[in-house]
Amino acid sequence: MIPFRIRLERRLERHWWQTAATPLLSILAALAAGAIFLLIEGFNPLTVYRELFEASFTSRYGITDSLTIAVPLILTGLAAAVAFRMNLFNIGAEGQLYLGAIFGSWAGLAIAADLPTILGVAAVLIAGAVGGALWAAPAAVFKAYFGTSEIITTLMLTFIALFLMRYLIFGSKSYWRDPEVTNFPQGKKIPPTARFELWSDTRLHWGLVAAIGIALLVWAIIRFTSLGFDMNVVGSSQNAARYAGIPVRRTVIVALLMSGALGGLAGATEVAGRAYALDPNGLELGLGFTGIVVAALARYNPFAIILVATFLGGLRNAGVALQGLPGERVPVEVSLMLQGVILLFAIGGEIFSHYRLSMTRLNTVAAA
Amino acid sequence: MSTAVQAGPGAHPGQPAAIAAVSVTKRFPGVLANDAVDFCVWRGEVHTILGENGAGKSTLAAMLCGLYRPDEGHIERNGKVVRLRSPREGLANGIGMVHQHFRLVDRFTVAENVVLGDPNQQRLLKPREIDKRVAEIGDRFGLPIDPRALISNLTVGQRQRVEIVKMLYRGADVLLLDEPTAVLTPPEVEALFTTVRSMTAEGKAIVFISHKLGEVMAVSDRVTVMRAGAVTGEVATTDTSQRHLAELMVGRPVEIGTRRGTSTDNTVALRATGLTVLDGDQTVVDDVSITIRKGEILGIAGVAGNGQRPLARALAGVFKPAHGTVEVGGVDVTGKGPTAARRAGLAFVPEDRLGTGLVPDLSLTDNMLLTRPRGFFVDRRTARAEIAAAIADYEIKTPGTESHARVLSGGNSQKVLIARELAGLGEAGGPQVIIVSSPTRGLDIGAAEFVRSRLHDARERGAAVLIISEDLDEVRSLADRVAVLYRGRIALEGATDQLPLESIGLAMAGVDESASAGLEGAT
Amino acid sequence: MNDTAIVLTLAAAVAAAVPIALAALGELLSEKSGVLNLGVEGMMLIGAVMAFQVGDASGSLWLALLVGSVAGAVFSSIHAFLSVTLRANQIVSGLALVIFGTGLSTFIGKSIEGKPLATDFTPIRWGPLGDIPLLGPLLFDQDPMVYATIAIAILIAFYLNRTKAGLSVRAVGESPGTADTMGIAVAATRYAHVMAGGFLAGMAGAYLVLGQVPSWSQDGTTAGIGWIALALVVFASWRPLRVLLGAFLFGFARRANFWLQGEEWAPNIPAEFLSMLPYLLTIAVLVVWGSRDLRRRVGAPMALGVPYVRDER
Repeated sequence: MIPFRIRLERRLERHWWQTAATPLLSILAALAAGAIFLLIEGFNPLTVYRELFEASFTSRYGITDSLTIAVPLILTGLAAAVAFRMNLFNIGAEGQLYLGAIFGSWAGLAIAADLPTILGVAAVLIAGAVGGALWAAPAAVFKAYFGTSEIITTLMLTFIALFLMRYLIFGSKSYWRDPEVTNFPQGKKIPPTARFELWSDTRLHWGLVAAIGIALLVWAIIRFTSLGFDMNVVGSSQNAARYAGIPVRRTVIVALLMSGALGGLAGATEVAGRAYALDPNGLELGLGFTGIVVAALARYNPFAIILVATFLGGLRNAGVALQGLPGERVPVEVSLMLQGVILLFAIGGEIFSHYRLSMTRLNTVAAA
Repeated sequence: MSTAVQAGPGAHPGQPAAIAAVSVTKRFPGVLANDAVDFCVWRGEVHTILGENGAGKSTLAAMLCGLYRPDEGHIERNGKVVRLRSPREGLANGIGMVHQHFRLVDRFTVAENVVLGDPNQQRLLKPREIDKRVAEIGDRFGLPIDPRALISNLTVGQRQRVEIVKMLYRGADVLLLDEPTAVLTPPEVEALFTTVRSMTAEGKAIVFISHKLGEVMAVSDRVTVMRAGAVTGEVATTDTSQRHLAELMVGRPVEIGTRRGTSTDNTVALRATGLTVLDGDQTVVDDVSITIRKGEILGIAGVAGNGQRPLARALAGVFKPAHGTVEVGGVDVTGKGPTAARRAGLAFVPEDRLGTGLVPDLSLTDNMLLTRPRGFFVDRRTARAEIAAAIADYEIKTPGTESHARVLSGGNSQKVLIARELAGLGEAGGPQVIIVSSPTRGLDIGAAEFVRSRLHDARERGAAVLIISEDLDEVRSLADRVAVLYRGRIALEGATDQLPLESIGLAMAGVDESASAGLEGAT
Repeated sequence: MNDTAIVLTLAAAVAAAVPIALAALGELLSEKSGVLNLGVEGMMLIGAVMAFQVGDASGSLWLALLVGSVAGAVFSSIHAFLSVTLRANQIVSGLALVIFGTGLSTFIGKSIEGKPLATDFTPIRWGPLGDIPLLGPLLFDQDPMVYATIAIAILIAFYLNRTKAGLSVRAVGESPGTADTMGIAVAATRYAHVMAGGFLAGMAGAYLVLGQVPSWSQDGTTAGIGWIALALVVFASWRPLRVLLGAFLFGFARRANFWLQGEEWAPNIPAEFLSMLPYLLTIAVLVVWGSRDLRRRVGAPMALGVPYVRDER
């Protein structure tokens, strides 16, 4: 038979460049695979990629639009990262985002009108964080006390949140609904004091700064606080946590609440920066799930998340922008497919940072 | 067949051994697990492999059942050489092993577990037939089990029965039982012996792997004693005594520069009273009382699995005892958690170095902070300086202070643990009581010597040290006083230099010397 | 009686339950072997678009169904490879599959967007049985896929509980280490069952596009059924026959809106809250039963979601 045995062996050392190389190589491999696919379909891959790149990263509106989409992706990416690095699989950032939008728009409508802008926006954000954390709380409690799978509970809660949000705008004349617009249901606009200012004439808003700031804050918490330290220990070895006297249950709950709050902030920034209202159609974009993709590609590192979110935001944006561009008629779906392929390659490549291939000659194993 | 096999005591001339190991040798990295070992069992015989941890018994058994392959030598089944490449092939040859850690699916029934993976099983399951056959085997060999019971609802003793039935169901004629009585209560032990007798009556060959002298004497026909990978003796039970076996088992250890403590300070540093720890419904630590004074080293000896882990953890505050109290430096810390114990002056180096003592995915600097009190913010500067100093002073081989703990070897991780837990020794706020589990297990001579000297140093500086170890040599060379743990109870206690070696060995094996004068009978 | 809105709704619920049940049964097989596959939506979409293409080109409904199912199986092999061989995080892998599947299926479906399909599933009438009040339209006047789904569920239940192979796969999902020791090929088993899951999910997507919404459109074809299927597996405690029952409930919940709006006596429950019901029920089941399932035979396979690594000897 085969004279060699190929095995995966655990690596003992990991250089920092190896950690960064894997996602980069995966992206390159995915682009190569994509290029082959495009060739088969009769497109010129270089032209396609160039147009994609231009649409998102070289023109003024392109970059700003990419960054605008990146804002919630940074936050949902952080939400996923905080939980996933502890093996807590909160896949409900999508629903936590919706709740954040609900709570945030309420705060904007109810209390921001008489406040200075900085406080008005802050109110929206804080309310959004609270909403998201609240939505993660059931999953957190059930997991910590009953060991219930957080994967299922957060997923279920996402759908409940979706219907709740739709109900508030489409299904009822709730506080969130704009009574003056009668032909189609729409959310009431929040006052200007609750909105992020726009950057000159683009769609980019100061929420980007907030998102980056929050990423820094998360990084700082994980790196410099005892809470972050406890989370690191619990995520690596629960035995060690118990040995050290770290309360495992409490840490798990706090981590999931934090994750939920970040998802809620994503919804809040969308309200305060883009939609200015509770807008289900504008929020149901799968931002929560894409955030998981961002986190995985970025290896749960807050700084990398900012970069990856921008990259994926650009890809998304390109898909839309391409439709209006002259030239090569590139199908819009290519960008979505590329996202998926890049992720698949990244996931597959992930293993090579922990393991390496070793080939051993099969000698006289059988004759003992 | 080798001459040793044919001429051994109890040999049946003219009849091949049911199974035999002929001059088998097995090496693992850094360890000679079995050194030219000869062993054989006849049909209808119960033969025990006796020895301490690390003696090589499990390795020998693994080769007999096909789990390992010998590097040198061979296995014979009924006189014919066999090459077993897997436990499945072993079973195909009628050899089955019941391990200490059961291979059972909790959510399945007894019958399902028995039938799982059986090559002779047809594609369609006929539950009634299977149930019948399983119950039949159970009755035949005195192993009453309910084929429809869920494993998760069974006691440990019942689960063991399932494992045995599993082997018998597949036609095993040679059964290897690895430390079977370790998890059984005395009445269950009796039931097992009855089962063993009915199996041998039907001509099956049984191999017991054990360290418990009383039971060994009660049930075996012959005993092979192993120590450090080699056979030290093979006797018929009728020709030997427990004392003799204990001698063969424990041997004459080499005295490695023992130093005894010279402290006259009688202050009690650690006091445990009536400590009882439960694991589910099993009592793993049973009414244990220990006192350690400043400047003294107490060693707790015993074969693995007699309660060492839960005892260490209960003393360190990681486990909450069901009954009893723990006082560190006069402060009652019972059930208050490890942080309270540490504040009172306790330090704990666990046997699971990487995974409990050190966090694998954290840097060495962060690991230094693991058992230290932390404020809101984490201050790494002091910890980094400390570990950097330790790396230099103790010659810890590591890429740097920020490398993950995962990459450390056994010896180096122990050095880091010692550096962390023994920091501040002799100063105010330093550790008063140090608990160390298996301090030198798996370490090379240099690292072991380092650990030993640090522990002696701790004693010199007035700390109280508790060593829990399965290595009797280690305990006797380090400790001023020795206590033996058997089945969660303190079976024997005294000054190391005043306790005869045989007494310790007997206590480790569960024999109560004061109980009977003859010392030949069962426990 | 059989013309009343309620009976018509119930009968429609049965048909609506088919894709939910098929997708859930597929996921059940995958999870029984210990692999969580969140990519059900993606597999359904791929099955749908491939089935539509083939159905449009060939005119044969059953060929389209087959191709859709096979496409789902092939697509799911990506997840199997990542999860089993490369030991990747199963959640991230499954989500990636959804993203990729959404994009790929949209791409493949560009040429047939909005086009209606020529053929349709005709229901099988079982003669006079179809006139029995209530049960008649429910059970005896449905298209063949309804009966096929019921048969598949029964087959799976039999397979898992009464065959040697079924015992082996359950062992792999509960305790792969034990299964490995007992000589069962863990990786091969997982591959097979993940792909079987993909096959059924592809079938579900194909049925949706061929039988219920006879056209392909970019969004809304699968309408989140893939996610419901994931919930359904949990709701049904990983038991095939309960999946049927749950699918019916979930299908009814989806159809109930229309029915309730037409009834004067029904309180004005907003449609959205009815939609929430399946998900709330799932959480309730999970929490209430979760603490008891250590004692019972129901519950998630113990090794679900955990990559299996054999310790080196």
